[in-house]
Amino acid sequence: MIRVIQRYDFSAAHVLARRDWDDERNRTVYGKCANPAGHGHNYCAEVTVEGELDPRSGRLLPEGRLDEIVARRVLGELDGRFLNRDVSIFETAVPTAENIARHIWDTLVGEVAPARLVGVRLIETRNNSVEYLGSEVPA
Amino acid sequence: MLLTRRMDFSASYRDASGATTGHNYELEVTISGRIDPETGMVVDLKELKELMEREIEARFDHRSLSEDTPYFRDRAPTPETFAELIFSLLDAALPKGSLHRIRLSPTRELTVEVTR
Repeated sequence: MIRVIQRYDFSAAHVLARRDWDDERNRTVYGKCANPAGHGHNYCAEVTVEGELDPRSGRLLPEGRLDEIVARRVLGELDGRFLNRDVSIFETAVPTAENIARHIWDTLVGEVAPARLVGVRLIETRNNSVEYLGSEVPA
Repeated sequence: MLLTRRMDFSASYRDASGATTGHNYELEVTISGRIDPETGMVVDLKELKELMEREIEARFDHRSLSEDTPYFRDRAPTPETFAELIFSLLDAALPKGSLHRIRLSPTRELTVEVTR
């Protein structure tokens, strides 16, 4: 088994707040991340795929395939955006690092054949990161 | 879902030769859990940060592991024993079974990983 890990940087703004909660409750649960005007991060998504090498190309996926998929489906949707306002799923789901990582997983999981998606790690700051492995039970 | 919070702290210790030395330690703490459907979070990061400050920073930051803590009276303060100690302190303070892994780097060239 061989795995390839690729890193993609993007920047986005978000607010951690539920629309059905008032400001006070959002501040209590999400702290300063609930500032309604939003704040931003330089995110890094680490995408891990595994599978069998193509014997002719010697690659897991054709060269540039994952870059193209991530650019179109993930970066095109998230980079430079205000997630709560510009990305439909985050009009309802709170754009926590956890929910963004799961959304990237859900976006990519059907797109990387013949490889398989193993994990999406989302680094939100130098101190905080999450990793989604496709189920709620870690491998 | 795995969630990782990192922190730095500095500590000294007496090594096997009796010399006193110290490091800037880097610690990564990884929690495993389900996303709370209400908040979209696995754990409250502020609570995790405060727990790490209470359990690790307050005990070890700018302290001597050998002189200022009771943990290394009968064992050497190696990267491995220190990492095991940190795992057990955090494991006792966190909700049962939620600690997935710690990684302790006494220097940039060395990392010790402890899992369950």
